[in-house]
Amino acid sequence: MRDRAILLCWLSAVVVITFVHEPRALGGLLLIALVAQGGSAPKIALRALVAVALVNLTVSIAFIVSAWLSGSDWMTFVLRLNLRVFLLALLTFWMIRHVDLARAAAPWPSLQFLIVLALGQIRTFTSLLADYRMAFSSRSPTRPPLRTRFGSAGRQASAMLDKAERQSEELNQGMRARGFFDREFPQ
Amino acid sequence: MHIPDGLIAPQAYLAAAAIAVPCWAYAVKRVSSALDERAIPRLAVLTALAFVLSTIMLPLPGGTSAHLYGMGLLVLVFGLWPAFLAFSLVLALQALLLGAGGITALPVNALTMGLAGGAVVVGARSLLGANTAAWATVFPVWLGVVVAATGLALVLGAQPLLGSDTDGQPLFFPFGPAVTLPVIVLPHMVIGLLEGILTWMVLGVLQARRAAA
Repeated sequence: MRDRAILLCWLSAVVVITFVHEPRALGGLLLIALVAQGGSAPKIALRALVAVALVNLTVSIAFIVSAWLSGSDWMTFVLRLNLRVFLLALLTFWMIRHVDLARAAAPWPSLQFLIVLALGQIRTFTSLLADYRMAFSSRSPTRPPLRTRFGSAGRQASAMLDKAERQSEELNQGMRARGFFDREFPQ
Repeated sequence: MHIPDGLIAPQAYLAAAAIAVPCWAYAVKRVSSALDERAIPRLAVLTALAFVLSTIMLPLPGGTSAHLYGMGLLVLVFGLWPAFLAFSLVLALQALLLGAGGITALPVNALTMGLAGGAVVVGARSLLGANTAAWATVFPVWLGVVVAATGLALVLGAQPLLGSDTDGQPLFFPFGPAVTLPVIVLPHMVIGLLEGILTWMVLGVLQARRAAA
């Protein structure tokens, strides 16, 4: 219940903030969000900053250059863009820290099960991919040519596909064996 | 190609959500009716696969690299609707667990990259019939990536039209299609070609393995 409430609050806040355009109001909201996060604020702010830095810097610099060339004002837009995008990212990382997505999906057992299964499979595949990458780099004392690296990426993707097909069947059989698909099974 | 939160106007993302929600509902119906009880494990594995495929790096000349988009491969192996659903779930998980991409941009990203890009791959591939030449895989995937990139560029490029303040300053993404189309589409013409070649290679390896099994 708590997770769903936080998720809903966050989603509402995100939508509302996209309707706020005044830089001073956005700055005020950012300040409130930072203060509300207490001791964890610096860590969350750093994560949010890293996540938005590339897009914000690119758009801001391009806008400043084009405004400078045309002799128009750029400050209001640059403040508006950076404050809003940073505030939204900050709220998202705060939400990620406080919400367990699987618990939030509890009223919908199929969705909850899908999320749990998908996250588990992502960990399995990510670790397999890391193994492939380490094996490839250990076999390559110098930087391999483009063709070799391209071939390696292709083999990684086909190994993942192969694994996914087998994994899907194994999961299905495992769930069937444990009675997940039986109507009386308490989902 | 992900768009973060705060760059798209509510008029655009709410309209995209109004289109995306029925598409997701239809995709769930299609996947459930085609796979019955196997739908959940199949979809979970597909989602994980799409997530991990998007972390595979495509090497580019000059020592740099780009992420594999993965939609072309998923669509050609599993079909449009399961691939669209898995791709949308990946975007949602990336936004809700990693803070990558945005939740307001999710419907736009899903519709352009997942549905429009995927449908173009399927359409172009079916037009080529039983042709087994390399280009019959490379071209549809390239076209799908370029169409997806064009869609995103047009959505971003439309933002200046959707809002400006009393001084004429933009409220959201500030550049029009004259900027977004070349900046987004041109690099994706190269990425799409590499992705098409990689997809062809992967499908070749899969077919060879299945023939040997």
